[in-house]
Amino acid sequence: MITTHRLPEQAFRSLASGGGDPDVIRCLLAAQLSKQIMLLHAIAKAAGDSDPMDPGVMAFTAAYKLLAEVQTARQDSFAWLLGLPHISAWAHDCLIRLNRGMPPDYGYLAAAASAAAVRAGIRFELDVPVHDHLVPLPGLGRFCVPDQVSWVRVDGDNEFLTVGAHVKAPRAAVVPDDGLVRRIPHWQGTALARVAADGHSWDVLLETSDRYLDRFTLAISPDLTPDEAVIWRRCVQSAWQILVRYHKWAAGPIAAGVSVIVPLTPRGGNALDSATTPAAFGAIATSPPPNPVILAETLVHEFQHLKLCGLMDMTPLIEPCDQMVYAAWRPDPRPAGGLLQGVYAHLGVARFWSIQRQVETKPDSVFRAQVTYERWRRTIEPSTRTLLGAGCLTTAGTRLVAALRDEGRSLAAEPVPADATAVADELALDHQLTWQLRHSATEDAAAAALAAAFQRGEPFGDQRLPDTRVDEETRKVVSTVRSGLLSLRYLDPGRYREVCDTGMRGPNDTADSHLMRGETPEAVRAYRDEIAATTEGQPEAWIGLALALHRLKQAPWQSLATHLPLIFDVHACLSRAGVSCDPLELAAWFT
Amino acid sequence: MTLPQQDLRSTIPDLRNLPLDRIAELGDSVLAQSIALYQQRLKDNGVPLSSFNSGI
Repeated sequence: MITTHRLPEQAFRSLASGGGDPDVIRCLLAAQLSKQIMLLHAIAKAAGDSDPMDPGVMAFTAAYKLLAEVQTARQDSFAWLLGLPHISAWAHDCLIRLNRGMPPDYGYLAAAASAAAVRAGIRFELDVPVHDHLVPLPGLGRFCVPDQVSWVRVDGDNEFLTVGAHVKAPRAAVVPDDGLVRRIPHWQGTALARVAADGHSWDVLLETSDRYLDRFTLAISPDLTPDEAVIWRRCVQSAWQILVRYHKWAAGPIAAGVSVIVPLTPRGGNALDSATTPAAFGAIATSPPPNPVILAETLVHEFQHLKLCGLMDMTPLIEPCDQMVYAAWRPDPRPAGGLLQGVYAHLGVARFWSIQRQVETKPDSVFRAQVTYERWRRTIEPSTRTLLGAGCLTTAGTRLVAALRDEGRSLAAEPVPADATAVADELALDHQLTWQLRHSATEDAAAAALAAAFQRGEPFGDQRLPDTRVDEETRKVVSTVRSGLLSLRYLDPGRYREVCDTGMRGPNDTADSHLMRGETPEAVRAYRDEIAATTEGQPEAWIGLALALHRLKQAPWQSLATHLPLIFDVHACLSRAGVSCDPLELAAWFT
Repeated sequence: MTLPQQDLRSTIPDLRNLPLDRIAELGDSVLAQSIALYQQRLKDNGVPLSSFNSGI
């Protein structure tokens, strides 16, 4: 009788509150191992239904047999291989291909099984595919063979490995490259960061060559040069030190659950991109981090996603749902499942900064930490409220989101300096209003009815608020220099001061310049003039006006914060009819 | 009074101690159902099967 994996109630509760110690992560890993075996079986079944003389199918069949031998001889090597995100990513690719009626890359299992056999030190012989002279051994590295061939015989035992006719290597040297091992001809070990701090160690591969892990939005980094590998190792070491010293709640679980970092090719500029996928549990992809603190934050953030992916593999948390909603960290509307992933990740991020703000010592770094903490902490309550109201959570999902909400509330009790709160307020308002103008839509007739009521002098309170819907792009709102500067103000206060001193350029240059220099009444006047000066909508100026009034706590900022898309549409309707209308007067009517 | 919650029972069969070359002996039903459930869940949750997606 076959049983299914169970997650102890206590483990669920700790995951639900955003935590989970290494034992909890090992529960998730155990289920992942079974999942990989299950997927491997599905692929084996498809291979069994394929042409037995196909070289890929033949290699797969032999590799499957070898894996069974490894499992019997060295369960740890078997579990190591199937725990690699490489294998999970490959298995998912196979499923995709099979679903589409395309042949999967059966031969990859030969490379994978060879890696497991090498690690186990057992005798084997397999034909393994060659791509561009390279023979990958997932999780270990790759051989470079001189022969122009598409398959090569790999023959190994406890002492040596031979690859084709010309390459022979001692088995003990066929290992990842931690920067200290002796290099041998034809072998390139996958870069390995072997880091330690205060007696806690973590081994993590820096994978740049596996084609199944090259599936993120950004391309995988080209092979790391030795110097680049050194820089990555140093950064991982420093980030690990930060995690071990100040974020123990995250360090141990990350070491237990993350086996691979996938360096990504940066987009350019200072932007850091990071990613995870449920198809590759244990891998975190990231472009080069600017410093170890940001890498530590990224590891915490992405590991939250992995934990949730692992949990969702064990039990559904959310039902299929078409509803698209606001997420405070994204410019576009998100499905409820995306919001759940996001709020779970940002709870981890908020916890990270709640501690990190006590650790930083330089004034600018402290300020950055305080604002970052406050910025993400405050997203938890409204995001969990949206999820709990969306009606698409399962029973377990509802319990999890309620626990997240409670955890967010416990963070809310921690005081934040007023200047940091003010900046976080403006960032949140700018993001929310930009999103609303971009994506919140009402019927034209509803705006026209409100415009007519305004002209007749009827109270706003007597009007029926029209229904709104979420659209891909309701209005064109360009990403303003102002939004960038609002972020720069806390992300890099020194650079922000420089920019403010030397002047700014942008579509609302004058008004934005006033706002950024703290000349807020002048900014209100300038935004108001810009809106009045043209009959075409000025969404960026409306947002600026709301920000400036909010900073002054001057009416009608609440109306703008609550009804901006509607006010914008009514104003546009009046303008089209040739009615000149002061934006503040109109906004005040919406009170 | 709140009743104590039970351990969460997943849909993933525990295959860890089963020899790989004997999994087929389980027959199709248990595994096929779990695999179908898994693939359906990936589709339902909007995880594209064609590419990885970091979007949250």
